[in-house]
Amino acid sequence: MEASLRDELVRLFDTKLSRQMLLNLETCSRCGLCTPACHAYASMPLPKYAPAFRAEVVRRIYKRYFTALGRFAPVLGEAKPLTDAALEELREAAYSCTGCRRCMVYCPFGIDTQQIMSIAKLLLIGAEAAPEILSLLADVSISKGESIETFKEGFLQGIKRLETQVVARWKVEAGTTPIPTEVEGADMLYVALAGAHSIIPAAVVFNAARENWTLSFFEAVNFGAFVGDPGKTQLILDRIVREALRLGVKEVCICECGTAVRVAKQLSGTQPFRVVSLTEVHARYLREGRIRVKKLPGSHTYHDPCQIARNGGVYDEPRAILGRIVEDFREMSPDPKYNWCCGGGGGLVAMGEDTLDFRMRSSRVKADQIRESRADVVVTACENCHTQLENINAHYGLGKEVKFLSSLLADALVAP
Amino acid sequence: MATLNYLILVPMVYVAVAVFVCGTLWRVFRLLRSPRLATPLAIYPVKKPGWLYAAGDALLLPTVLRHNPLLWLALALFHLGLLALCIGHLELVADIRWLQIVPHAIFLGKGAVGLAMFVCLLYFLSRRMVSPTKELSVPEDFLLLVLLLLTVLFGAQMDWARNWYDYSTMSVDDYRAYLWSLVTGKPSIASVEGAGHSFMLVVHVFFANLLLLAFPFTKLMHAIFTFALNRIRRG
Ligand code: SF4
Ligand code: SF4
Repeated sequence: MEASLRDELVRLFDTKLSRQMLLNLETCSRCGLCTPACHAYASMPLPKYAPAFRAEVVRRIYKRYFTALGRFAPVLGEAKPLTDAALEELREAAYSCTGCRRCMVYCPFGIDTQQIMSIAKLLLIGAEAAPEILSLLADVSISKGESIETFKEGFLQGIKRLETQVVARWKVEAGTTPIPTEVEGADMLYVALAGAHSIIPAAVVFNAARENWTLSFFEAVNFGAFVGDPGKTQLILDRIVREALRLGVKEVCICECGTAVRVAKQLSGTQPFRVVSLTEVHARYLREGRIRVKKLPGSHTYHDPCQIARNGGVYDEPRAILGRIVEDFREMSPDPKYNWCCGGGGGLVAMGEDTLDFRMRSSRVKADQIRESRADVVVTACENCHTQLENINAHYGLGKEVKFLSSLLADALVAP
Repeated sequence: MATLNYLILVPMVYVAVAVFVCGTLWRVFRLLRSPRLATPLAIYPVKKPGWLYAAGDALLLPTVLRHNPLLWLALALFHLGLLALCIGHLELVADIRWLQIVPHAIFLGKGAVGLAMFVCLLYFLSRRMVSPTKELSVPEDFLLLVLLLLTVLFGAQMDWARNWYDYSTMSVDDYRAYLWSLVTGKPSIASVEGAGHSFMLVVHVFFANLLLLAFPFTKLMHAIFTFALNRIRRG
């Protein structure tokens, strides 16, 4: 590796050294308690998949460039310089971690391996060794934010085509638009994903609850967060923040996308609007009696998306919803905080076929858990999880049905 | 030999304590100086008051108890032993009246504390020799455990001798005279020189010095950082 690149990477590393990060880097006692917590390790017991081992890949470089012991007695901590081989290790460590933070629940100190992996991801970006597809997708999102006008027409036409499907499932009063856009002063801005499945059921429920809502021009998904680029993450989020401010909404509701929910909740800053997940909004409608539902037949279980549940605190809402709309609900994990990650987060699903093999091998424990739940339908509230669960379902021949919580709720709606 | 004893028992102790105090303060200062991320990094559900749960996590290690009860037992014994030894050493420096609210002989446990810690350390060391903890371990981990083991072994040896085989060539007052002379800045090793256990003492102090020197530069800092990190996890 060229000296200039190395210096640049060390500088990048330095930008990540917040107080929390220093604590994460300097506290690990390598006790190994976190080892069985990681689904990758639990599915494939190789040392390199142990959380602390991944973290150590980053820590070794940290020691070499930022600590006294690493500089003067590198052998004690196995401090290592940044080399091309080290980059390869960083890549393997970071892109086999989904950022589920289950290991954090086991650690006696609460060391955040996802945070540590964010350094690895940033260094890979700096060395232009990050997965191209993720960087590319992030750039597309950003450029969309810069030139709304050019894609607006096409977007609106696409939405128009969905409206008949929305009305087919829930009649709206004459004069109201089934999928409103650009409504200034709306109460809620709904940020969906590209794809009818993210828009139609949500619209049906909003209309049934007589929500004063408007659909965002942008997609919620944040590829900047997947690739681990703080600047791009913020730029992608800022498009939505600006739109919400322009329309003057009270709430920004993020669709079923775990990363988007977490990023929007945690990085929007202090704003005149609140950020909520679609699941929370739906639970509220039921609580306030704004929608009426019937119970659907069949046995259902719920997969907690890590970024919404363990890392976002939305545990009760999906259960409250399911309790109202399905006859037979079965937990897959006795304590949802310990629910296994699906194995698709951290950008792995977004990288598609390239990661499929690893995703399937690392999700053996998830497949077992689903099988043992003995439910026919696996419900979840995250796009990534949904894709991954479908892959798992096919790969392990589980014979389940995988459904979005929002679409299940739309199915359960009854007329008032 | 006498010079070497003196070097270990006096100047090296001063240096070790100075490095320990300054180094630790420096590490904490460096932490406080670094920018604090505003993003919440908690694991949910969060319970209030967060600081209380965080302190509970740091002091009682509930996650270890849940996932590895044997390790928890060893960690609990080891760290409680450490606490008892800290009290013992403080009392060796001077009479501390409030510690004697429950009257006890100096050095709690009649030698059992040292033995328990020794066994725990052997267990920690053996854990590191088998997969998957083996692959996680770096030389620092072994070095610290060996240092602790040696410090505890030689220290406990003096305690055991007094308690178990009635071999007290040095009394509490002898140790106290030496330590008090260090505290007051008029170092004298006369009271602990030439006795049957002088060699033990020198070796014990030597390894203890190394531990103090290592503290600010190694993962031993977890003793302090655990509170801050657990606070973050508790939101
Ligand atoms: S965050 Fe999840 S995937 Fe990453 S190391 Fe921890 S348990 Fe494994
Ligand atoms: S549980 Fe925590 S301290 Fe122990 S090895 Fe894992 S990250 Fe390190």
